[in-house]
Amino acid sequence: MKTLLRCVFASLCLVPAAAAFAQEPPAVPSSATEPQGIVPEPDAITRAVLFADRNLGKGDLTNGIYWDFGNMIPGAGWGNAGPGYRHWYGKDFAFIDASASISVNNYRLGQARVELPGFLKSRLLIGASARWQNFPNIDYFGVGSNTTTDMLSIYGIKSSQFTGYATLRPFRWMGIGAQIGWTNPQVSHVSGPMGATEKHTFVPTEVSLTIDTRDYPGHPTSGVMLRGAGANYDDRTTGLNTFRRYEGEAASFVPIGGGRVVLAMHGWLVRSETRDGHSVPFYLQPSLGGIDTLRSFTDYRFRDNNMLVGNAEVRVALMTHLDLAVFADAGNVAARPENLDLAKRSYGGGFRLHTRRETFAMVDAATGDEGWIVSFRLKDPLGFGRIARRALLVPFVP
Amino acid sequence: MRTITIAIAAVALTISASCAGVKVPVATTAPAPAGASLWIEPTDLGSRDLYYGPWGSQHAPDPKGVYTLVERKHAGVNLGLTVKDAQGREWSVKQPYPGGLDPEGPVEVAVSRLLSAIGYHQPPVYFLPAFTLKDDFGKKVEVGGRFRLKDPSLKDAGFWKWEDNPFVGTKPYQGLIVLLMMFNSTDLKNTNNTLYEHKNGDLVEQWYMTRDVGSALGDANPMAPRKGDPESFERMPFILGVTSGKVEFAYAGWYKNLVRDRIAPDEVAWASELLGRLSDKQWADAFRAGGFDPDDANRFITKLKEKIDQGRSLGARAADRDRQ
Repeated sequence: MKTLLRCVFASLCLVPAAAAFAQEPPAVPSSATEPQGIVPEPDAITRAVLFADRNLGKGDLTNGIYWDFGNMIPGAGWGNAGPGYRHWYGKDFAFIDASASISVNNYRLGQARVELPGFLKSRLLIGASARWQNFPNIDYFGVGSNTTTDMLSIYGIKSSQFTGYATLRPFRWMGIGAQIGWTNPQVSHVSGPMGATEKHTFVPTEVSLTIDTRDYPGHPTSGVMLRGAGANYDDRTTGLNTFRRYEGEAASFVPIGGGRVVLAMHGWLVRSETRDGHSVPFYLQPSLGGIDTLRSFTDYRFRDNNMLVGNAEVRVALMTHLDLAVFADAGNVAARPENLDLAKRSYGGGFRLHTRRETFAMVDAATGDEGWIVSFRLKDPLGFGRIARRALLVPFVP
Repeated sequence: MRTITIAIAAVALTISASCAGVKVPVATTAPAPAGASLWIEPTDLGSRDLYYGPWGSQHAPDPKGVYTLVERKHAGVNLGLTVKDAQGREWSVKQPYPGGLDPEGPVEVAVSRLLSAIGYHQPPVYFLPAFTLKDDFGKKVEVGGRFRLKDPSLKDAGFWKWEDNPFVGTKPYQGLIVLLMMFNSTDLKNTNNTLYEHKNGDLVEQWYMTRDVGSALGDANPMAPRKGDPESFERMPFILGVTSGKVEFAYAGWYKNLVRDRIAPDEVAWASELLGRLSDKQWADAFRAGGFDPDDANRFITKLKEKIDQGRSLGARAADRDRQ
């Protein structure tokens, strides 16, 4: 046990890298190369990846005008695009970012944030964000795990949101986050037998602990991500929809054969807690379905107060920048946490177009109880983009 | 759907606007101001050290040193950092993307060595394959790249334009364009040209430099050119022919205005003769300075020598025609 703990501590503190600080020049890190695939890569794929790497792969680092791609919630469709502007100031002490984008399903989003990541020698980040969104057609199949696809209703949600947040990073791999916000979701019934038209004002607060040793969050091939969070949604309109949400999440990425094969595993538990007579609004209930959770089910297919999901995925480097993936997903929703199980299942396979640090496009075909679904997205299905967001989102985003 | 179409069109416009190229250069009759130079005749070419380059080993980064992070790079398409070494010298580090697909650092250093050897001004650039970085969380080993020293003797005075500078039409200027075609350089935007004020005692010289020359030694595909890729470099031809006294280059990139109907055969020959004076050791040292694998280096050198021969023969044919 002691040895195991020592190993874990050593890997977290990058002790192996520290050992390289001797008198000799350091060896080139393994991230300088990428595992070769099983078959030679056609020139067109290499150039597509090269183009994406040079034009899209720098993330938040580039000052100036940029195009915001693939950064929308599930349901928005295969992609979105819009202009943005960001700038770093004072030798990385301050950062501003603003963008607006529209998706293929006409989801519209505008956001602006200012961050000061350099306090206490980069140990403390303080930020504030504002967000306006209009998602006109989100699927709603009712509450519980026994809903059917013919119960499909559509609702729209529009909201403004303001959030203040802080993240304490005692280590490179650990973040302790806290946030407080204000949001006013206006829900409108669009079609179908269920749904409501309502307007609320919430003050959401959250504290979280994240341990993240993944090599590249946009295309993880090694490391772990562990996260625990507790949030309170204070309903300032009627008080009847005040609730608490607790989350536990773990993901692990294990490279095999020099990284030619990556075994990815993920588990996520979400629990909502209300006082007697209170309820969680349906759009804030944890939901399952879509490429981030159960890939043979449509986005937001199941929802209830509690949710459990597990994913296992094996990625094989078919070519240097094209992975073949096979996966299995299982999970369910339930009114009470003790009733959660893994009864809803998906199996399938797909392809991932990626560089070492970013999955730029993916296509998956998945099958389960409700047939086949083929999905195309401009992101990694196990990239957990939602944990990088500083603000609690409305609706609940799997 | 209409908004989506507009968004896609806007993206396409942005991408093409960012690669719009340069205007056709027009020669001025005014002489270059005193102290301004693009090129200085390399009278000691045969003895020049192409491993450490024109700035020598005293300006080179310490491969065993610890470099303190000043800030991350926020411009351009490459990753990078500004760091300080133990002597307090500040370096601009250009790093490859993880995975190492077509890194520009090695190319930039090798091309810079070749240009400086034959008389073109170049900043102090070096290549380190890896280095130790110290940031607020401690030390870690980073993938290296091109280290460019912010030397106090060089003051960045902004960029100069290909189409508007005191040297347009001169042999060194035309020759520089020929050399960049020879290297299959693709990123010839004006902002990669830097005017430096160089302090030489009490004298302040204006050095016109072509900087950031790392987009080369591959091919000139307009959307996704390969860089530092021997196979692409070998595949792409140099000169297609001569039409109406002007050389037709195989270049198909965004900056055709620099070469279309502008370069004469004797200007190609001038540049080829100059580069052809390098010794085998100097060629090898230039690529060794960029950290190239010797086999890859040999492939680049062989192809470059083929191009030099082609350029020389073009000049010889033009001279024959003139005699007749």
